[in-house]
Amino acid sequence: MVTFLRKRVVSSAIPLLFVVFGVFCLARLTGDPVNLYLPLSATPEQRAEFAAANGLDQPVLVQLWDYLGQIARLDFGESLRTGQSAAEMVFAAFPATLQLAAVTMLIAVAGAVLIGCAAAYRPNSPADRVCSFLSMTAASIPDFWFAIMGVLVFGVTLGWLPTSGVTGGAEVWVLPIATLLIRPFGVLVQVVRGAMVAALTAPYTRVARSKGASEKRVVFGHALRNAAMPALTVAGDLAIGLVNGAVVVETIFGWPGIGKLMIDSVLQRDFAVLQAAVLLTAVTIFTLNILIDACYALLDARVRQAAPA
Amino acid sequence: MQPPARPPLRGGRPRALAAAAALVALTPISACAVANSDDTGTTGGGEGTLRIVLAQEPPTLDPCDASLTATGAVVRSNISEPLIERDPTSGELEPLLATEWHRTDPTTWRLDLRSGVTFHDGQPFTAEDAAFSIDRAVHSDVACNVDGYVFGGTELDVQTDGAAALTVTTAEPDPVLPLRLSFIEVVPRTTSTDAKVRTPVGTGPYAIDKWETGVSIALRRNDSYWGDAPAYPRARYVWRSEPSVRAAMIDNGEAELSAALNPEDATEDNSVAYPNNETTALRLDGTQPPLDDIRVRKAIGMVIDQGAIADVLFAGLADPAAQLVPDGVVGHNADLRAAPPDFTAARALVADAADDGVPTGKRISLIARNGQFPRVSETAEALQYQMARLGLNVRIQMTDSAAHLEYQLRPFPKGAGPVALLIMHGNQTGDGAFTTSQYLLSDGPQSTFGTAALDERIAAAGALSGDRRQDAFAAVFAAQNDDVAQYVHLAHMRGLLGRSADVRYEPNSATGDELRLADVRPAHRKGS
Repeated sequence: MVTFLRKRVVSSAIPLLFVVFGVFCLARLTGDPVNLYLPLSATPEQRAEFAAANGLDQPVLVQLWDYLGQIARLDFGESLRTGQSAAEMVFAAFPATLQLAAVTMLIAVAGAVLIGCAAAYRPNSPADRVCSFLSMTAASIPDFWFAIMGVLVFGVTLGWLPTSGVTGGAEVWVLPIATLLIRPFGVLVQVVRGAMVAALTAPYTRVARSKGASEKRVVFGHALRNAAMPALTVAGDLAIGLVNGAVVVETIFGWPGIGKLMIDSVLQRDFAVLQAAVLLTAVTIFTLNILIDACYALLDARVRQAAPA
Repeated sequence: MQPPARPPLRGGRPRALAAAAALVALTPISACAVANSDDTGTTGGGEGTLRIVLAQEPPTLDPCDASLTATGAVVRSNISEPLIERDPTSGELEPLLATEWHRTDPTTWRLDLRSGVTFHDGQPFTAEDAAFSIDRAVHSDVACNVDGYVFGGTELDVQTDGAAALTVTTAEPDPVLPLRLSFIEVVPRTTSTDAKVRTPVGTGPYAIDKWETGVSIALRRNDSYWGDAPAYPRARYVWRSEPSVRAAMIDNGEAELSAALNPEDATEDNSVAYPNNETTALRLDGTQPPLDDIRVRKAIGMVIDQGAIADVLFAGLADPAAQLVPDGVVGHNADLRAAPPDFTAARALVADAADDGVPTGKRISLIARNGQFPRVSETAEALQYQMARLGLNVRIQMTDSAAHLEYQLRPFPKGAGPVALLIMHGNQTGDGAFTTSQYLLSDGPQSTFGTAALDERIAAAGALSGDRRQDAFAAVFAAQNDDVAQYVHLAHMRGLLGRSADVRYEPNSATGDELRLADVRPAHRKGS
């Protein structure tokens, strides 16, 4: 297992380097930030001073070299927009996104396992059909529309929940989590149901039943364990999507997360913050991928054995 | 018969939860909880707190950046104050931290300062602080936004004259120097000159209590304020970029005031319209054919239906425009009126131009910015349609702010071809000089071309004062329409301020840039 993990870490380093170069180059292709940060009436001299003060007057290769040097010193520069340390801004925003993602995925996975298993236990029953219809609907609803409708219905019309914000008790989590949850939940229910239908009709479950295993053990001990692989794959992809920034939720509900920070830094050509945010997100996603691979290996001995020594 | 003993299951725990568990392991929930409880109630604020929802978080609260809309809405006249303020309704300059000012010679102004004023930290306000504030805004390395906004590289010599007066000298006579000074917010002389300050100290009716990055800014009333005490002991700003959420916060009682609502979300109960001094127009690049021919430019101006655009696309929240500045700005020409479309005359002009070899079929890029104003893309489509009826070949290009600025400011992109740029100009200074120097001069930073005659008129108008200044700039705007036609004016816009029925506040043309909390009163408190 240690060898397996070591190789995954090494193989992840190369894409990470591409991310560093790619973000740096693509960000600079989007245009010069000087005009954005100075008033329209600023003189050419003032624009030149601003560019020089922020190193934007240097050739791109020089800027890249400086940037790599900064990364080596774990210095990600300062935000053009706020003057704050880019690393501080990113590390301040990231936990908010991680919390949303973690809670959402916990609920989505737990709920999908229960409902998917229940639906698959009696395939084509009325309960299964209702479950399939609702999960398909959930997976198809645009999150932006759902969020706005949630605000209008539960915030304004019924007055049960705050429309947005992060100050308060558990109620402030409800709409953001519900908005984030609805699509992953619908997708996972479908995946778990499909995998469980196949698993519950597989020969090994018939063998388990013939040995007298209880239905609970057959479903959760035998079938679910084998059905977990495709669900884990999809759950991993969905989790990565959430870590990448729940932009819609963060924008609508005023949640101070990494997705909103990244979008703002793109629109404001705030290169230092953008680079730091993308790098931290990339590192997190690589880490998540490694953890998910480790989970594969734990779940399936064939994966462990396939890893070269 | 007993079933055979089952072998123990290895790894029988539900490992499908592993991915989510991995996320949890990365989440320092206990140490970094985002949502939190405090003593200010569910939506923040608590009793006696005025709650305002902005469109974005201010990038900085340094008073020398108060000319930035997002910063000014919080800072100006709330946390810090200028020496002189401009009444947004009358346009007159009013005393604030300076009580009087007058010109002592053509290049020097003397200002007498108010006594008995203290900063939030208890330091007394003196002429040294006033001089320091001007010097910091204009001459320091802090890169203050106000420097480029109203001074444009102008050198000022500021000298104190005792503790309660100062003189400001310019290299050239500047009849509107007091107006320029009204944009400088006063800070104590202990303020950093190396970097912008995050929690500024001022003399205003409110002081910063706490800035929770990404979440809110809380202010508390300055009990030692020299003027009338504001009604609310506390204020709290939050920000939501989605206008419908801002409107919902007013409807749901989570905020009393909100920046910029969209017409779709506004009702009589949650909003009030106000003139925001913004004017929309189409800037035609007069250096590129076919727009380099004044007949084509004038023809475009003749077919744009400003009335329909104002009524339908801008939902009546605009008035047809015939110049770049609205009423109330020095230089506004009351004789200029938007004319109804005249396709016959316009087609004749284009036909004449085509007969003379002007390539009227060459593709024109109509460039607009996403989010520039409500229904901007529909406005661009309407303009494209009306120009196409003249036989012009127009393609719409929507951009973000940074890309739009590439076309708005010199040096303009090379090889872009003929460009019709949809602009929105806000003159918050109240003087036409700030518009003409930018938009109408031949080499103005936001002007694609001009004429020597118009340049001379602008220079001459800038040296005048009083009624002569008004008349001279009014003539400049008339000449742009008659002799240059770089701009096809669309509308003088009105904004929508979200306002709860719980408060009394009348917005004015400065509200978008300067939301004075001291002017807000609880609706139920009569006579206050």
